[in-house]
Amino acid sequence: MNAPDNHLELRARALYREAARQLDPAVAARLRAARREALASASKTSWAHRLLELLLPAGAFAAIAVVALFLSSPVQRPTSVAPNSAQTVDVDGELPPDAAVTDPTLYQNMDFYGWLAKNGDSEASR
Amino acid sequence: MESQDGRSDEPDDDGMNSVVSTLEGDLLLEEARAVPASMDAFLAQVERRAFRMAELNLGHREDALDAVQDAMLRLVKHYSDKPAQEWTPLFWGILRRRIVDLQRRRKVRSIMVGWLGGRDDDGDELPAWEPADTSPGPLERLTDSQSYADMAAAVKLLPQRQREAFMLRVLEGLDVAETAQAMGCSEGSVKTHLSRALQRLRDQLEEWR
Repeated sequence: MNAPDNHLELRARALYREAARQLDPAVAARLRAARREALASASKTSWAHRLLELLLPAGAFAAIAVVALFLSSPVQRPTSVAPNSAQTVDVDGELPPDAAVTDPTLYQNMDFYGWLAKNGDSEASR
Repeated sequence: MESQDGRSDEPDDDGMNSVVSTLEGDLLLEEARAVPASMDAFLAQVERRAFRMAELNLGHREDALDAVQDAMLRLVKHYSDKPAQEWTPLFWGILRRRIVDLQRRRKVRSIMVGWLGGRDDDGDELPAWEPADTSPGPLERLTDSQSYADMAAAVKLLPQRQREAFMLRVLEGLDVAETAQAMGCSEGSVKTHLSRALQRLRDQLEEWR
C-alpha cells in the first residue's frame, strides 16, 4: 500500500479529532445537556417499565382471582314465581306475615296492631 | 443492501482490499477502543465527534445538534440493555439514519419553497430553510482550520454512501463489520464505497500528498 493514502487518512482523522476537541463551548454545553436529558429520560422510562412489570402480574392475578371466585360461588337461581312478583306483593298484603321471617314481637303485640289497623286511619284524620 | 448513490454494493476490484487491509493494519490499531463503563461514559466519549460528523454531513449547526441529540435519545431508550461493545455501531447507525432523514426533510422543504416561489400565501417572504450560521464558527479555533475546511469541503462533495463509509471507517475508526452494521450494508459494499471515496479524496486533496 502506498504511504500517501495512509498519510491522507491519518491526517484526516487527526483533523477530525482535533476539531471535536476544540468544539465551541456553547455547543459542547448543549451536547452535555442533551446527554443528560437522554439519560434522564431513560431512567424515567425504566422506572415506569419496572412499575409496569410489577403491576402487570398483580393485575393478572387479581383478575384470575375474581374469575375464580365468580365461578366457585353458588349460583343464585331465580324462583319460578319471580316474573309475577307484582301480583305476589298484592297477595302477600292480604295474607298474614310469614312467621319464619317476621319479627316475633309482631305476634306478641298482635292486639295492638289490630287496634291500630282499626283506629289508625281515624286517629290520623283528626 | 441499500445503495443510495446508485452504484453496485459489491466490491469491484482487488485494489480496495489493500486499502482496507492497510487501514486495519495501521490506522485502526493506532488506538484500541476501550469498552465504555457506562452509557454516560460512552456518550460523553462520542458526543463531540458525533456533532462534527453530523455537521460535516448537514452543514448546519442546529441540525447537527438535533441529529446528535436524537441519536443519543434513541440509543439510550432502545439499546441501553445491549452489551456495551455493541453501542458503537448502533450509535453511529442511528446517527447516520437521522442525518439522512434530516437531509431528505430539507430537500422536501426546499422543493416546497421552490414551488411557493419563496413566498407564502400572503406574499410575504418565507424564512430561509438553511440560514447562514453567523456565529463564530469552531473552525476559527482550530490551529489547522484551513486544512480541516479543505477536508470538510472535499468530504461534502463525496456521494452519500462514500461519505458515510469514509467518515465511519477512516474518521471514526470503526472496523469493516461495524461500519457495515452502521451503514446497513454488506462488508463488501463498505470496501467498495471506501475505496472510491479515498480515490476521490486523493484527487481533491492533492496538496496533502
